[in-house]
Amino acid sequence: MFEILSSLLKYLFVTVIYLFIYGVIRLIYLDIKSASGQKFEIKKNIPYLKLINIREQFDFKVEEIYMLGKDVDMGRSAKNKIIIRDPYMSTKHARFTYKDGKYFIEDLGSTNGTFINGRDVKGTAMPLKDGDKIRVGQVDFLFVHGG
Amino acid sequence: MMKLLSLKRPVNMLVLANILAFGLLYYYKKPYDKMVLIEGLIVTGLICLSYFFIIKKNMGDGYLFLVVSMLSSLGVLMIYRLDQDRGFKQILWLVIGIGLFFMSYYLYGKVKIKDKLMFYYYAASIFLFMTTLVIGSSINGSRNWILIGGYSFQPSEIIKILFVLTIACYFKNSEQIIFNSKSVNLKWKLDNTKIISKIAFFLMVYSYIGFLVMQREWGTALLLFLIFFMVLYVFDNDIKLLLLNGAIAAIGGIGGYFFVHHIKIRVQMWLDPWADIAGKGYQITQSMFAISAGGFFGRGIGLGDPYLIPEVKTDFIFSAICEEMGVFGGIAVILLYFLLVYRGFKIALYIKDLFKKTVALGITLMFGFQTFIIIGGVIKLIPLTGITLPFISYGGSSLVSGFIALGILQALSKECYSGEEDVSDAEEQ
Repeated sequence: MFEILSSLLKYLFVTVIYLFIYGVIRLIYLDIKSASGQKFEIKKNIPYLKLINIREQFDFKVEEIYMLGKDVDMGRSAKNKIIIRDPYMSTKHARFTYKDGKYFIEDLGSTNGTFINGRDVKGTAMPLKDGDKIRVGQVDFLFVHGG
Repeated sequence: MMKLLSLKRPVNMLVLANILAFGLLYYYKKPYDKMVLIEGLIVTGLICLSYFFIIKKNMGDGYLFLVVSMLSSLGVLMIYRLDQDRGFKQILWLVIGIGLFFMSYYLYGKVKIKDKLMFYYYAASIFLFMTTLVIGSSINGSRNWILIGGYSFQPSEIIKILFVLTIACYFKNSEQIIFNSKSVNLKWKLDNTKIISKIAFFLMVYSYIGFLVMQREWGTALLLFLIFFMVLYVFDNDIKLLLLNGAIAAIGGIGGYFFVHHIKIRVQMWLDPWADIAGKGYQITQSMFAISAGGFFGRGIGLGDPYLIPEVKTDFIFSAICEEMGVFGGIAVILLYFLLVYRGFKIALYIKDLFKKTVALGITLMFGFQTFIIIGGVIKLIPLTGITLPFISYGGSSLVSGFIALGILQALSKECYSGEEDVSDAEEQ
């Protein structure tokens, strides 16, 4: 009984150990991939989004600070610069653009809308100033522009 | 729910491996022993609980504990298969080890003046050395055990960690030597010169190694030297020092070969064990037979003949793993140690503070070199030394000191992972 079990199991056992190793390597790889985009120090004059809500209330991963560059897309899909897997956000939800010294936000046709200080952005690019509150899906951000 | 049970989550694979292992052990010997299942449940449950605790509380790097628990589970499996009593003891030590892991994690965070305690570490080590010399007993030729009650305990395992801390204290101060050319004020009444402080440091290091040589613990002596050499290479710009230390080691090695009978035999058996298969070369030839008998997938757990190998529960446990789980199993074990060392290096690279960086580096090197020395010895890559395979070999002191070192490494890794990398979320891609 034991002999048969053991002889059969040896293949399975080795496979399980290798799946474990594969799983760990995969997680490490994913961590490196997702972390390499995020670690900035806050530089002066570069605006950033600061999370207003409590991070732990969400069961999806969201950062406290997102730095904004020239053209930054935000949404659920991994193709965006800012990836937030909020079920109430669309795949491509909003875009932050920089033009003539000012930052703008436009809604990319999202299902639930993008709101600045309570007002719906709806289609056109709205200018952002320091202290504006942005709401996408369930997440509230503060737009901080030090310059 | 399916995501929770997915094959890709390493935690699930760990649990599955444990279930398979303990399930198999249950059927191993008639009468079927229900205790095995209970123990298996406890071990698996404890590992899972600890892992989720580490993740939820953001206690730093999640992978360290994961890899180490896989190794420990493999170790428990093999040792239980070899000897039920020892297997049960190993499980006991594993539970104690995990407890000490968390304890050393918390304690490391609390003690703030770790980097100023260099002479206390040294004094503690000297104290341990002295006790071993006075009341120690010889087991298998090395006078490295202290027997208290029914339990034997190897102080050299603790001394390894103290050594890493001592070196780290020194190199924290060396920042001033390298960058400012100011002198380092040691608390002894020595002159305040660069050179004398370095010499004092070297004397300290070699006294560690010297004590170990006196106790005939060649493996640990070699290990400490390698750690010291590597850390010196990393932190010091002076190549002359490296060459000097290398020369001293070479002289020591050659002297050992000629003057110490035991070392001479080990080297001869490394070069040609087949000349004396039944006598001095028995250990290594049996080990080679066992590894080759395993083939790729092994003969199956419980179906091999590991008892033919002497010291199979400690030094040669890797050969037993290769025999019963095949070369693939052995390679998997080596890969797991690779992962551990990789994470350790990553942590050491990321830390900015010089003392912490050196401690992380030292601990990683400790695990890495120890693994290399024993696996290399067992497969006849280098001469055999009596050192344990971390987390897998039977041994309370070895397991416990491994977990303490891991706890320190975990505490250091907290800096790199201030809540941003979430292991379980990265899976949802």
